[in-house]
Amino acid sequence: MKRLKLHVTLIVLGIVGVILIAADHIDAPSSMNTTADITDYYAFEPSVGSNNTVFAVDLQTNVLPDLAYGTFDENVLTEINIDTDGDLVEDLVIQAIPRDGRMYFFGPVAPSQSGLNSEVLINSPLGDVEISSTTAITQTTADGVKLFAGPRQDAFFFDFFQFNAVIGGMAPGGFKVAAEATDTFDGANTMSIVVELPNAMLGATTATNVLGIPVYKTWVTTNIKQ
Amino acid sequence: MKSNKLNFVALAFCSALFFTACTSDDNVTVDPIAMATCSDGVMNGNETGVDCGGSCEACEVPMMGADFSGTYAQADHMGRPGINTVLSFDLEGQASVKDAHNVTIPSEMQLAFQAGFEARLEQYHDVYASLLGLNPEDVNYVPNILGDILNGPDKDGATDNPVSATVLTSVLADDVLEVAPDVATTYFNGGAGAPAFEGAVGLTGRTPQDDVIDVSLILLFGGATGDRFSGQDTNNDGVADLPRLTSDGVALTADISTTFPYLGAPE
Repeated sequence: MKRLKLHVTLIVLGIVGVILIAADHIDAPSSMNTTADITDYYAFEPSVGSNNTVFAVDLQTNVLPDLAYGTFDENVLTEINIDTDGDLVEDLVIQAIPRDGRMYFFGPVAPSQSGLNSEVLINSPLGDVEISSTTAITQTTADGVKLFAGPRQDAFFFDFFQFNAVIGGMAPGGFKVAAEATDTFDGANTMSIVVELPNAMLGATTATNVLGIPVYKTWVTTNIKQ
Repeated sequence: MKSNKLNFVALAFCSALFFTACTSDDNVTVDPIAMATCSDGVMNGNETGVDCGGSCEACEVPMMGADFSGTYAQADHMGRPGINTVLSFDLEGQASVKDAHNVTIPSEMQLAFQAGFEARLEQYHDVYASLLGLNPEDVNYVPNILGDILNGPDKDGATDNPVSATVLTSVLADDVLEVAPDVATTYFNGGAGAPAFEGAVGLTGRTPQDDVIDVSLILLFGGATGDRFSGQDTNNDGVADLPRLTSDGVALTADISTTFPYLGAPE
């Protein structure tokens, strides 16, 4: 807890800093140390030439002691937002929410409303899967959608302690060389939700990145029951 | 992509209106005989449940009476790694910008946060200027390697690097993670490096293997060559004179897999 407090204080006061990248772990006062803290987000093609896309969301972390970690919260709805026309408004959402040891998925479908409030899209079930413990339990639906929810190793890597030294004014030389640097997230776990689905279920996109390549513009949110 | 679009429309149409035999897979041939069993009250043909799955309508998720009612209000947001952590900053006694970022929709982020991000980027440079004993006004962000990549391999010397601090923070202010459905995923790969960056690719998604920290450091502090602040010994006395800011020195340590769910079992 002591280390966390130091870290938080430095951020909040905006004291000297090189750069504070922790993916999205502990990124803001209100969400940190809650079951709704998004810690990381990946979106990728599972293999070259695949017609599927994978979305992986990490919630919670045990990288520091005494943080909320280990159980998906039934009051937290995780939502993957997908913009397919480049206006930065979600055209499709995929939702995940736990109930009684299982993770239920909905979508991809146009949300009932865009913006900050969501409802579970119960008329568009995608599938469900038992929440894993150590061994991964996965589910593949008739549509070829793969589902997973459970604890996993935190794949984020960063020499966070050296970073703290840098922003604390104790490391004018900056980061360490590879032989001396340490991945702070080595050994840490996170609560992961992973969905892999055929691109055909997301449809075409007219959005492009700055290199002109067609892309889905995506982001993940957590949402708490009111 | 046209077939994908049609396929999606067909899927949505089927799901929304008919609740009959639909599939999102073009390669599945719907067998009319199997179809005929979709209402006979037994699991047969290629069904995965009674009158559902396979060639029939997708099976309903067993809700077990679960209650999904209610309104859920946004609490956290993430697109690209590190955006809120690095580029938003809070001042004591003022409302938290970091909290605001987590409850702002992407289409409103540009207006709300770009100027603050640009100020923060310069602030980081000022901090290191001070540590180096230099005048903060003399150490500023300089256009990064993305500019050379965007300008292409033809270096005529007449094309300015377009990635100013304003341009960079404008791109980053739209905090979304782009993923290309039809191109291999690369967060960023500078190819052959400066000056032409032949073969550079990126911005097509993010895998667990991608070293997003080093990429971010290079784009913020690497300048046009990518190694502007990388621990150089400028006077050859055997001691680094510039800070090492373009790599944190660590690589992936977690177990990952090439098969679903891709992330390693917990430790």
